[in-house]
Amino acid sequence: MISFNRSQVIGAEFPDEETVRFYGIQDDHIYSMEINMDVRVTDGEILAVEGIMKRYTTFVCPEAVPILQNAVGMSLREKDWERRIMKEIGRKGCEHFAEIIIECGKCLDQARMTHAMWKALEKDPGLNQEQFMQTWIEGHPEYME
Amino acid sequence: MTIRFLRNKVVEVEPQTDGRLVVSWRLTDDLLKASVSLTVQPPDLEIVGAEAKLERLVPRAWATAPEMIKKIEGVRIGSGLRKIVQGLLGGSNGCSVLGQAVLESSNAVILHFTRPVLQIGERLEGDAKMEHLRKMVRDNPRLARSCVAFQDDSPIMQGVNG
Repeated sequence: MISFNRSQVIGAEFPDEETVRFYGIQDDHIYSMEINMDVRVTDGEILAVEGIMKRYTTFVCPEAVPILQNAVGMSLREKDWERRIMKEIGRKGCEHFAEIIIECGKCLDQARMTHAMWKALEKDPGLNQEQFMQTWIEGHPEYME
Repeated sequence: MTIRFLRNKVVEVEPQTDGRLVVSWRLTDDLLKASVSLTVQPPDLEIVGAEAKLERLVPRAWATAPEMIKKIEGVRIGSGLRKIVQGLLGGSNGCSVLGQAVLESSNAVILHFTRPVLQIGERLEGDAKMEHLRKMVRDNPRLARSCVAFQDDSPIMQGVNG
C-alpha cells in the first residue's frame, strides 16, 4: 500500500502578453494548499498572490496566509530566487506555500515556450517541435537552469 | 480562458515487504513526460537503486538522463542532500529535472515517516495535543524556526524546553 502520496498541479494562462497567471495546487496525505499568482513575464516579478490553506497540521499554520504578501515584488528570475522564497515565505510562513510558488517559478519558462510554440503551430501546424524547442532554448538559456 | 500550460506531478512512497521503500516520481506537462524511481534502504536511507526516463520534447542536453541518474546511487537521504544532488545532477552538464525529482522523492520519504507521528497527535486533545507538538520539536530540533508554527514566539515553542 502507498504510505505517502503528493500531487502538484500547476496551470498557466496568459491574460495579456505581459502577464502569466499561475494556478497551483499541492495535495498530499498531510497537507492541502493552493496558490494563485500573477507574474510579469519579462522579469518574473510576482505582481499578486493569494493562498488558500485547506489542510494543515497545527493551529498556528493559518498565520502563514498574510505572510504570503511578502512575495509580492520578489522576482522568480533573480539569483537564488528559490532560496529567497523558501526563507521569506517558507521559513517565516509556510514551507508548502513556498513549495507551490517555487514550482510555479520552475514552470515560468516552460509556460513561455509552450505559449510561443502554440502561436507558431497556429501559423504552421507542421512545425518541427523539437527544432523549435532547441532554437528557443538557445535564445533562452534560463530554461535549462 | 484556456490555460496554455499544465503540469501534473505525483510522488508516492510504497514500502516493500523487505523493508525497502520504492519512491515513484512522475511528471507530465505540455512539453515533458518524466519518471524517476528510487529504491531507498532504511535505516540509513541510502538510495540503492535509481532509474529515470524522459520522453516527449526532451532537450538534447538531457538525453543521457537514464545514465545520469545512476550517480545518485549510494547517496543517503539526510543533511547536506541538496548540495550533494546539485553537485551530481546540477550545472551545465546536469539535468535540473532529475535533481528536482531526487529532492522531492527524498522529501516524500521523510513525510512517509512523519505521517504516523502526526496521526497519533490527531487523537489527542488540549494540553496533550500541545505536548505532542512540543515533543515533535524536541525529537526533531530541525523543526525549530522551520515555519511560522515553530518560530520562537509561537505558542507551540513556548514550553518546548520547559
